[in-house]
Amino acid sequence: MVNELLNPIIIIIVALATGFLLPIVDKKNKSFTVVLFFMALIWIGLIALNGVVNFSSGAVAVEVITAGISPPFSINLQFGLFESVIILATTLIAIMTAWLMLDQLKENVSTLVLFLIWVMGIDGMIMTRDIFNLFIFIEITAICSFVLTGFNHNSNALSAGFKAIIAGTLASSFFLLGVMFLYYQTGTLNIDDMVNNQSLITGVIGHAALVMVLTGVLIELKPYPINGWALDVYQSAPSGIAAMMSVSVSAAYLFVFYKLLPLFQAWVPMITLIAGLTFVVSNFIGLKQTVVKRLLGYSSVAQIALIIMAITLLNGKVSVSLLALITGGLFLNHLLAKSALFWLAGMLNKTHVAQWTNLKKSPVVLFLFGCLLAALVGLPPFPAFWAKWELMMQLATHQQHGWMLLVLLGSLLEAVYLLRWFSGSLNDVKDEESSSPIRINTVTLWLSTVALFVSGFTISHLMGVSITPLFAPILAALFLLLFDELTGKTKAGITCVIAVFYSYDILLHLTGINWIFGLMLLMGSCVFILGSMYRDEQRRGYFPLLLLLIMSLGTLLQAKTSLNFFYGWELMTMSSYLLMNCGKNALKSSFIYLIFSMGAAYFILFAFALVFAQTGTIQLDAMNTISQYQTLIFACFMIGFLIKLGGLGFHVWLPGVYSETEDDYTAILSGVVSKVGVFGLLMAGTHLGQTINDEMVFYVLGWLGVITALLGALMAVFQEDVKKLLAYSSIGQMGYIVACFALMNHLGWVTAMYLSVNHLLYKGLIFLAIAGVIYRTQTTLMYKMGGLLKNMPMSFFSALIGIIAISGVPPLLGFGGKWMLYNAMIEKGWYFQAGMAFFASAIAFLYLFRFIHTVFLGQRKSEHKELVEAPFSLLIPQVLLIIAIMVFSLNAKWLIQPLSDAVAVYYPSTLTWTGTFLQTSQGYWDGYLVMNVVTGVFLLPLIILLLVSTTTKIQKVKQFNIVYAAERPDKPETTHVAYNFYAFYEKALGFWVKPRATQFWNSVAEWSHTMGSACRILYTGNGQTYASLIVLFFVIIYFV
Amino acid sequence: MEYWITKIAYYLLTVSIVMVYGLLLSAVIAKTMARVQGRVGIPLYQPFIDIMKNFGNRTAISHGIMFYLGPVFRLAGGLGTLAFIPVIYGSEMFSNFHFAGDILLVMYFIFFGQLGMALGAGEGGHPYSAIGIARGLAQMTSYEVPFALAVIAVVVQYDTASISQIVAAQQGGFMNWTVFTNPFAVAAAMLAFLGMTGYAPFDVVMAPNEIPIGPATEFHSSYLSLMQINRAIFAGAKLVLFMNLFFGGAGNLIELVAKTWAIYMIPVIVGVAFPRFRVEQSVRFFLKIPTLIGVLAIFYVQYIVLK
Repeated sequence: MVNELLNPIIIIIVALATGFLLPIVDKKNKSFTVVLFFMALIWIGLIALNGVVNFSSGAVAVEVITAGISPPFSINLQFGLFESVIILATTLIAIMTAWLMLDQLKENVSTLVLFLIWVMGIDGMIMTRDIFNLFIFIEITAICSFVLTGFNHNSNALSAGFKAIIAGTLASSFFLLGVMFLYYQTGTLNIDDMVNNQSLITGVIGHAALVMVLTGVLIELKPYPINGWALDVYQSAPSGIAAMMSVSVSAAYLFVFYKLLPLFQAWVPMITLIAGLTFVVSNFIGLKQTVVKRLLGYSSVAQIALIIMAITLLNGKVSVSLLALITGGLFLNHLLAKSALFWLAGMLNKTHVAQWTNLKKSPVVLFLFGCLLAALVGLPPFPAFWAKWELMMQLATHQQHGWMLLVLLGSLLEAVYLLRWFSGSLNDVKDEESSSPIRINTVTLWLSTVALFVSGFTISHLMGVSITPLFAPILAALFLLLFDELTGKTKAGITCVIAVFYSYDILLHLTGINWIFGLMLLMGSCVFILGSMYRDEQRRGYFPLLLLLIMSLGTLLQAKTSLNFFYGWELMTMSSYLLMNCGKNALKSSFIYLIFSMGAAYFILFAFALVFAQTGTIQLDAMNTISQYQTLIFACFMIGFLIKLGGLGFHVWLPGVYSETEDDYTAILSGVVSKVGVFGLLMAGTHLGQTINDEMVFYVLGWLGVITALLGALMAVFQEDVKKLLAYSSIGQMGYIVACFALMNHLGWVTAMYLSVNHLLYKGLIFLAIAGVIYRTQTTLMYKMGGLLKNMPMSFFSALIGIIAISGVPPLLGFGGKWMLYNAMIEKGWYFQAGMAFFASAIAFLYLFRFIHTVFLGQRKSEHKELVEAPFSLLIPQVLLIIAIMVFSLNAKWLIQPLSDAVAVYYPSTLTWTGTFLQTSQGYWDGYLVMNVVTGVFLLPLIILLLVSTTTKIQKVKQFNIVYAAERPDKPETTHVAYNFYAFYEKALGFWVKPRATQFWNSVAEWSHTMGSACRILYTGNGQTYASLIVLFFVIIYFV
Repeated sequence: MEYWITKIAYYLLTVSIVMVYGLLLSAVIAKTMARVQGRVGIPLYQPFIDIMKNFGNRTAISHGIMFYLGPVFRLAGGLGTLAFIPVIYGSEMFSNFHFAGDILLVMYFIFFGQLGMALGAGEGGHPYSAIGIARGLAQMTSYEVPFALAVIAVVVQYDTASISQIVAAQQGGFMNWTVFTNPFAVAAAMLAFLGMTGYAPFDVVMAPNEIPIGPATEFHSSYLSLMQINRAIFAGAKLVLFMNLFFGGAGNLIELVAKTWAIYMIPVIVGVAFPRFRVEQSVRFFLKIPTLIGVLAIFYVQYIVLK
């Protein structure tokens, strides 16, 4: 009995029967109508669920035969794993849509009936194996779609519905004509039979027939440029209906396309081309969209096109299960995320993207919105991430490099407009309407989001990924999110404790370079979190994200496979981006960061895919066996990692982000996150370095590094904003590291890692010191500060140690870095690079002096008279960092030896130690002795001065006790030299640092938007244009 | 332990000699210039008197701890620079602590005093100090470029960064001096030296005629003494460095005096003959011809000397 009730044919029967019953019941009892309606939908859902359960455990697909005659002489339905999964998914979406739209739907019972029949039509399309029957279901679905689009009598929707009718009619006419001719030639209407007898489809008639059927199906799959009607529908239909159209109807058509694909083998390249074009063009046009639902429409069209591409490119080349994993992952992702976004758009009733602001006031909605967008963009841990990864790997394996680039380009464009939407929603706008918290029913959104997490988890499980390290960061962050009500200080403490334990655990499992970076990144983060306790605010969301960031670093460090590496990389990007927007308003620059990071990630993905194509495995250790495209792969990695590092040309995101984010987070960004790029470089270097014979790529990288060092330093010289100054300084410092890495020898790598450690220590120290100053003075402009040494001596001391270390002046550890750098470069024969590095390091003195002078020395502003030292909790990490700097300065061996050992695995060591005496092929250096000599020569004059001071009466004087411009000055503003400090230097060399990179990227953005505009001129909004485009489309397909 | 005590004693001896020599040298230069201009000039012992007088001042003021320490840093910079340079070739007594580091250490330690002094002057709060430092640093960035290229050329030429080995490689007749084996490197370095010494046309840092003595504006009494001592020692150390790198070093004190005097006369002569550059002019100057010569020096080493 139960089995009969769960028979797939019941789906059709239930829908039809309920459809008839509903008007009758409605006359008697309104509320029972709704119950009946949902019962029918749930029943359909249960049937599908039963199917999924059975078929996934290996049951054979069910063939439903009607009229008691076996096919091909009768209509048959097939109900297997694919069918049941798709029906289940579409039905669930339908139930949730119906529930959300219930108030509108139940006003008129005929709407309920239509909705139910619509669902039936969709399910029928999925199940039927008869092409004429398919036509019937297509018609049923289409008619319901038209009517439901316009059911709330909105004039735009009616007009869109009418355009849809035109397109739909053309599509079904083509389809029907095609079916007729096919029947004429093959004598069957059964799809399987037709496929088996393909040889009968010949001549002009056969060709025309297939083109007609293909056109009919394609029109409904909405490829560019014949999708103008669909976009109008998405924009103007009620959100729920648009959601259904975008996911459920599309699902049905996709499956139809898949069923008929064997007939269209000759057209596969063309279909791929059309899909590829649609994917890229839709995303280009998406850039120009300001209306939310139309934007989602373009995204929908693009996603469907991507799935078609995946099918046509890989069908027959990879196993069915793998193809199902890729397309299923992409589709499930699209289905859940897109429908939920349409619902959200409907519930918030904000038509324009610009109206989506102030979501921070409704954290739950923001969280859900963020997850849905992240899923759509293909970020981990959502299904599309895994599917896109697998898609790339398979495309690379089958040498489809052009298509890979196309997919990546389109994905990047899509990420731009979707994430721009998200970024805008974080904006705090002060107006009455949008500043109150949003109250909506989020149940369906929660369901979709949870389903996305679960399906992401499932897909990764199916891919055989070890899940614990990948999902632990997310779970930990979600766990910490539960305690978001606690005070900021408590949360900082908890985060720190968790991070310490986590780091300890991770470090036990790491060796070599990874261990060193683990120590740097993880322990460094723990130290910096201590500093975060200085703020009294609650800082919602900050600490969970911080934990996510730290644990994603752990994932990255532990990665043994390229997939894990990429996953950690993406997670790190995402969490670091979100952290930038906790608190202060860094939206604009952090958005640029995000887009550049996405671009970087795609370069890395591309490189990993090319590697996979050759090795057939995702094990990182196997990378060194590749024999093709080494230089290209390496270059892609370099570009990807350089973007993260802020290498020259890709640095445009960095200064803005550093200056606008929270001050303690800037320390983490500069100290820790930038080192991940270095880790990436070394990852690529250790695995690929040996395979590359062409030195050119390293040579270019080396020059890029030193030029970055030079121009970064020069830019820093001209900044008025202290955080920008330090940001450009970081760019410059990263330049040295890149150049040292590019040396590709033992000393070079040791230096690169040594400089990384140094940079973590001293730049973190300075950023923390300056965080305290900014906290007290409430400004980041240096000319508004001055003379703060008197108020904040400890912060000054930190800054002093920091700048001595950066400048490379002995006896602090910075000198070791410079010394090794020149030794390494001279050893390699890079003399001019060494010269340029020297120039850069001389320029560093300019900005370092400017920094410490204008902030701590000179004349203090009157309003700063009462300031006190930075908060204690901010000083603790500074003390720890200073201790570390002093220890490593005193005995450089403790730092250099482990680095040298780690690198010695890859290149033989060229360093020789005799006690503390270090020797390279050219030079030598005894850090310990230098420290002693310097202490001695410092004490000597100090003692002399102290002795003399016993006889000389030294009087301490107050501020302004000087004579300047023939008077005793009384205004710090006119006495403190700070603004435009190096005006003459700007005159001399300023022309070197015109913002060329910014101009370049601005024009890229401009160009992309223009491209988007150009592509959409075909969308006139006129039904006749759309119809003629469709006919033209048919003609072109026919003749090509 | 005894070794180190001897070392320190020798070092202090060297310091004293260099200091006395440096002070005398400055007096000689001043007197020479006076004679050129038709004046009598100062007596040779004038610098010593100045220092003693400043040390003996009864009162002084302090703007704060960094101000107090500024001159200490400055003199420590001079003392340290000297400490890492072997003064006389082959002499244990005058070899200082050169085994602590090579030419790179010296080049970076030169910055130590400048940085510390800059901080001290900064706390003084006088605008002229800050302006003077800013100008000084700006010039420094550009004259270091030809100098660095010259040093790299020398290091490549002798395949060592050790100053004593560089001197050793130039022994055996004056034709082995760098000035003859790689004239480009020496030309670049000597042009840089003009900037380093701060005589005209690169004297805008101190700008003796308009703003009273630049970075040192606020310093007086014993602070000034320390700085005057440093002027002597630092100048001496730099001269010795140039002599070692480019002019074959010195085997004895006489040779040392002769060579360093000769080297020092170059910026002096240039200084009396030229007017002053603005900062941006000097910055650009060093990055043009001198840098080009430095580049040539490296090519010369790579493709001619070592071939």
